[in-house]
Amino acid sequence: MSTFLQVFLRSLETGGVYALAALGIIIIFRTSNITHFAQGSMGMFNTFVVATLVANAKLPLWLATLCGLCTAIVLGCLVDFVIIRRAKKVSPVAKQIITLGLIMVFVGLAPMIFGVDPLKLPRFIESGDLDIFGAHLTYNGLFNMVLGVALMLILFYVLQKTKMGIAIRTTASNEPVARLMGVPTRNVTLFAWALAACLGCLSGVMIAPTTSVTPNVMDPVQVNALIACVLGGFQTFYGPVLGAYIIAVGTNLLSFYVDSTWGGQLMYLLVLVFIVFRPQGLVGKKFIKKV
Amino acid sequence: MDKITVQGQTPPSNSNPAARAFRNPYIRYILFGVVIALLPLLAKSGVMPSSFLVNLGGVLIYSIVALGLNLLLGYSGLISLGTAGFMGLGAYISGYLSGTVGLPFLLTVLIAIAAAAVIGVLVGFVSLRVAGIYLAIATLCVSEILRKTFEELDQFTGGFSGLTAGYPTLFGFKLSREATFVLLTAALVLVMMLTHNLVNGQMGRALHAMRGSEVAAQAMGVYLLKYRLIVFAIASAYAALGGALYMHFIKFSYPAVWILTLSLNILAVVVIGGLRSIYGTVIGALIVFAVPDLLLKRIPVIGGIDGIAYIFTGVLIILVVMFYPSGVVGIGHDIKRLISRGRKGGAGNG
Amino acid sequence: MAKATHSGAALADGLVLDIHDLSIQFGGLKAVEALSFHVKEQEIFGLIGPNGAGKTTAFNCITQFYHPDRGQVVFRARDGRVLDLVGLPVHDIIRLGLVRTFQNVEVIKELTLIDNVLIGAHTDFKATILEQALRLPRARREEREMRAKAVRALEFMGIAHLKDAPAGGQPYGVLKKVEMARTLMAQPKLIILDEPAAGLNDSETAELAETIRRMRDEYRCTILLVEHDMRLVMNICDRICAISFGQFLACGTPGEIQGNKLVQEAYLGEEEPE
Repeated sequence: MSTFLQVFLRSLETGGVYALAALGIIIIFRTSNITHFAQGSMGMFNTFVVATLVANAKLPLWLATLCGLCTAIVLGCLVDFVIIRRAKKVSPVAKQIITLGLIMVFVGLAPMIFGVDPLKLPRFIESGDLDIFGAHLTYNGLFNMVLGVALMLILFYVLQKTKMGIAIRTTASNEPVARLMGVPTRNVTLFAWALAACLGCLSGVMIAPTTSVTPNVMDPVQVNALIACVLGGFQTFYGPVLGAYIIAVGTNLLSFYVDSTWGGQLMYLLVLVFIVFRPQGLVGKKFIKKV
Repeated sequence: MDKITVQGQTPPSNSNPAARAFRNPYIRYILFGVVIALLPLLAKSGVMPSSFLVNLGGVLIYSIVALGLNLLLGYSGLISLGTAGFMGLGAYISGYLSGTVGLPFLLTVLIAIAAAAVIGVLVGFVSLRVAGIYLAIATLCVSEILRKTFEELDQFTGGFSGLTAGYPTLFGFKLSREATFVLLTAALVLVMMLTHNLVNGQMGRALHAMRGSEVAAQAMGVYLLKYRLIVFAIASAYAALGGALYMHFIKFSYPAVWILTLSLNILAVVVIGGLRSIYGTVIGALIVFAVPDLLLKRIPVIGGIDGIAYIFTGVLIILVVMFYPSGVVGIGHDIKRLISRGRKGGAGNG
Repeated sequence: MAKATHSGAALADGLVLDIHDLSIQFGGLKAVEALSFHVKEQEIFGLIGPNGAGKTTAFNCITQFYHPDRGQVVFRARDGRVLDLVGLPVHDIIRLGLVRTFQNVEVIKELTLIDNVLIGAHTDFKATILEQALRLPRARREEREMRAKAVRALEFMGIAHLKDAPAGGQPYGVLKKVEMARTLMAQPKLIILDEPAAGLNDSETAELAETIRRMRDEYRCTILLVEHDMRLVMNICDRICAISFGQFLACGTPGEIQGNKLVQEAYLGEEEPE
């Protein structure tokens, strides 16, 4: 029981990381109609900013993270302003390709600016273990879990209750109509890109201490976040969050109880089979084709 | 030879037999191949550094793979991020069977192609259900599963330390690097001709129809499932062929080669070179896989920057998608149009 | 006497299509309800109705893009077989000789006009993919024959001189002709034209009427016209079926339809809402 609990708690931690990244992807998808493949790469870039500030400028982690969030906002806005805004007319597939190109740009920029050596990133809370019914959880893990959940709660509150949130949801459901109704859709997408970049940066800062900061640090997060979106469906904001936690828990349980090397692949396979039977994801309606 | 109207080309009426022969697409493919096959001579005579040959051989291999992706992305409008996985599959199958098992090279290539085509068909099934946004992610999933397989099945793949192979042995002859280069050229020319035939016939039109509108395509009698399966099988087969050739030309294969970055590079080839263009695909492969190594890295200052190749390719992808959707190959047509407009004196039809 | 094949379908002599008790609903909304009519061989038959009457739904049920909840669509195929289309896959319909055009023309911009027309012959190619890839004799012969046939179809429409031009950038009128030429490639028994006059001016509509008659006469096929333009329908149709709110109103000659009270009310209700 205690091992199960431990596996489960760890999954909640990684699940939170995936969920934050997935939320970024879904916000971009809903406001700009783009599958954001560069969410992880942008997060990686900003994690490099944080890691460099910690390693070279000796800033405390929280201050470095704040700086990283600032560059994330700038970067997100730049991407929207310089590229996405000018690509309104291209097809959805071509828009996907643009974000694939962005991956390469950021993967190339990172060693150019931050050097080729991998960097270490400390945890927010360096030591300390929590004992819950025999399952161990680091304070840092608990912190990440709580931070993830808190951020998501704030985000859902913003989406549901604030003016900006309503503007985002209106833009998400029908961009042209929202524009005609006077919703400042340009600001909405700008905000969405900045927000997504921040979420990517935070998920990067949370995952980086478990490995080292390299251009590939976010690859698993990116892949799992995308798959979480597919699993949860692209039509709601909470679907991908649900998907993220399911993938994290599922992967860890499969790795622990079925096969330690193939657990992750097994999970992917299950998701593939799942979307063959339910293409719209866990939560979402089926579209009726029209002629 | 029956007349085939190659898209975008209106041959001038010319009765000169040489010119007429040149207009035949097959003769042009062969001429193209002959020119490429002469490159090893250039390297031998010292006009071109012989290290270029490895890069250019890579370009030929990636051209084959990218032609497969062009069938998917360009003709059928289906996006796939699984290319690297299938290429790796071909490399490992051919490398293992020719090395450890000792099967003849050509047989291993055929087995690799068949195995990849079968998995491609499975992906085709998925694609019918999850068109559009999900498909790229689903293929990414498949590629991840394959990559993990390469890492873990180390009795076949050598795991992280990789698998090595030699230049191919063909009909009892052990090929040299130069001869292998000629073999790559022959394979590419063959694939170009096959692709040409496929896309200019009934199947090509069906793919076009499918891309244009699935509903209209079905009303015209196009069985979507059949063509999805076929096009995924062909694209996977091309990728596996490229992988098998890679194994025997580059002579090693690590799991870290067959990652998303490679799939993205192949995608870049297709987008930059030109969707639905056979020669454009080869030009794209040259731009993505040769220009960074052969040119950029030789430019002082810029060349020393780490990651310059990625930035170059990434920026090109974005620029082409936004401003030049017909790809680099479209530039030629546009220049031609500009010249002919200039000849008319530009009176009135500016 | 008519032969019966698929689910015991039967069709009286001289008929090409018999629709019986056709019904479909979407989430409780009855889009088409108990619709029945028949179409005779080589006639020009009009299906009319005010906006939202269910015309398009009805014909999506005929072409099996939607599978109706109830009813039969009995059709005499181009090889003489009589069968009920309900439940057949969409892509199997055209090879029976039932082919359609689209309200908002569906042509492939990147292909030439002749290649667009050739798509209409898709199901008549016998060569396998391998034969096509290697350009074996059968594939080459078929391609040559179909191209010749496509040129004839384009000539019929009067746009053969444009055959090698890409479809992208052609005027709307030309694209409509390409779509109609494409239907002629399918050895059609019944051609369904979905609002062919939409977006055409008066002289183009007059030309269209002439073309439709010539299609019927020279290709010996039946035309089912789903149309909004009353003048066109009244001008060329032999018989007309009017529907409203998914239900049958009347069926008869143009004169009878024009004089029909129910039809007048349905249309008046639309045009003068007070």
